[in-house]
Amino acid sequence: MSQNLKNMPVEANDALERAQVDASCRVPVLLFFATAIFWLVVGTVFGLIASLKLHDPYFIIELPSWFAFYLEKFSPAGTVEMINSSLTFGRIRPAHLNTVAYGWGSPAGLGVAIWLMARLCRVPLRYPTLVSAAGVLWNIGMVVGIGALLSGGSTSIEWLEFPPYVTFILFISFALISIWAVDMFVHRKPGHVYVSLWYIMAALFWFPWLYGTANILIQLAPAQGSVQGIINWWYGHNALGLWFTPLGLAAAYYMIPKVIGRPVYSYYLSAFGFWALALFYSWNGGHHLIGGPLPAWLITTSIVASVMMVIPVVVTAINHHMTMKGNFNVLRYSPTLRFVVFGAMSYTLASLQGSSMAFRELNAITHFTHYTIGHSHLGLYAFYTMIMFGSIYYIVPRLLGREWVSALLIKVHFWTCAYGIVTMVLLLSVGGAIQGWMLQHPENPLNKFSDIVEATKPWLRGRSISGCLIMVGHLAFAYHFALMLLKFGRSEGGPTLLAQPESNTDSAGSHS
Amino acid sequence: MLGSLIFLGGSAVYALYWAASHGQFKKMDQGAKIIFDSGEPVGKVTDQFPGVDMKKKEEQRLAKRKMKKA
Repeated sequence: MSQNLKNMPVEANDALERAQVDASCRVPVLLFFATAIFWLVVGTVFGLIASLKLHDPYFIIELPSWFAFYLEKFSPAGTVEMINSSLTFGRIRPAHLNTVAYGWGSPAGLGVAIWLMARLCRVPLRYPTLVSAAGVLWNIGMVVGIGALLSGGSTSIEWLEFPPYVTFILFISFALISIWAVDMFVHRKPGHVYVSLWYIMAALFWFPWLYGTANILIQLAPAQGSVQGIINWWYGHNALGLWFTPLGLAAAYYMIPKVIGRPVYSYYLSAFGFWALALFYSWNGGHHLIGGPLPAWLITTSIVASVMMVIPVVVTAINHHMTMKGNFNVLRYSPTLRFVVFGAMSYTLASLQGSSMAFRELNAITHFTHYTIGHSHLGLYAFYTMIMFGSIYYIVPRLLGREWVSALLIKVHFWTCAYGIVTMVLLLSVGGAIQGWMLQHPENPLNKFSDIVEATKPWLRGRSISGCLIMVGHLAFAYHFALMLLKFGRSEGGPTLLAQPESNTDSAGSHS
Repeated sequence: MLGSLIFLGGSAVYALYWAASHGQFKKMDQGAKIIFDSGEPVGKVTDQFPGVDMKKKEEQRLAKRKMKKA
């Protein structure tokens, strides 16, 4: 093979190298993507039910009587009661969070990270069976975990609801991937370590450390009193900032330049942004506990660090914008770029909003309201999930050697999700601000607690409608992905994959 | 907890030291180009909707814009 490579023209040699790397990733990465999309659809159903229950508490409180009648006949005693209780808001809501965070977000990010690792290390995937086994183990953990949450086994600690035996399964799975990542890094081809690889290696190192430490200090050897709150939000916020954020940024730093064919505007800024994120983000969690029974210095440190996060965020925003400058026309033609640029813009918005919410004055209004839920959806969906969608649109054709089947399905996916999430965030922000303002003024006779609940209802109804839009997008995406797995896409047959335009008239990369 | 913090902080310092001593902060403009190769060089768009001829569409769009201006 090496003799063949030597005799080939450089262009064909590079294309073959890329094709070999992609082929080596096929099974594990598709496994991660397929299961992630399954959990995405399940998680969206949970989210929609939870959302509807917030303004219509009697929505699906029990199974239909005819169904319950037959189920009682053919299933063990108590099954109907168990299912009925699993439909309550208190179980469906954590099931939604854990399904989208650990079922969709993490495996989708891992799939993208595995492919990027192989591409950026420029070596075929090492130990693909080990990576696939980790993916299977992760999904076993997910099935057991979601089953536990729905049957009342939640620990009731936000972001750490899975019982310890599920946590253990997920940790082992993740540890396998982290060990594999170190092995890949050690065996990479010599040369520069691209910024995306820095982000991925950091995320794969940070997450098991965070997850392990938080679970030990909360579940196995629980810290006492309010210290548990600190650990809870140290983990909860860092799961977003030191796990999902680096994976999202790693994908954005690869996809934007790669799609438009232009290097990152300032590579210095990208490296600076990485180290600034590493330095400031881990201190942010305490701003979730403003007003709580904790030392003032601890909260203040978190607020300062939250504001310091403006530095890496603005650096990243400038870098992405300047890289795109003069290339915005490509957004018309590239599905990947549409999703990724939407996600990158949302990253800036979500992060700046997050920094502002850390101020005590604003936090007093927004804390414990739907405003915070809007913010978390802006971060985890509009930023992270949209970038993952874009990356999957880029990676899957290269793994399967086939084009996506339908441009229409991609457009339906993009526009329903984009309109859905923008509407959702706006409605929750306005509704949450009204809710927070009313809660701050209990002296007003119109602000009885029941009045406040009533005042949020129109906004919550709107949120459910936006959730339906997102559901349509997810179904289109899942259907399209299934078509790809069933080999409906047009095959190009060559190692370079995909029909590629000769060049983009506006993307000569002349900014230097 | 303390051991965990020292381990994390120490590993971050080591990563920074490793990057500096292995020349990762030198010739960074060259580093930004390692995602491109001879088959997918700088200047080449590598993603588009299926069945769309981007070059043709872009030419049509620019021609339309010219017509409007005229």
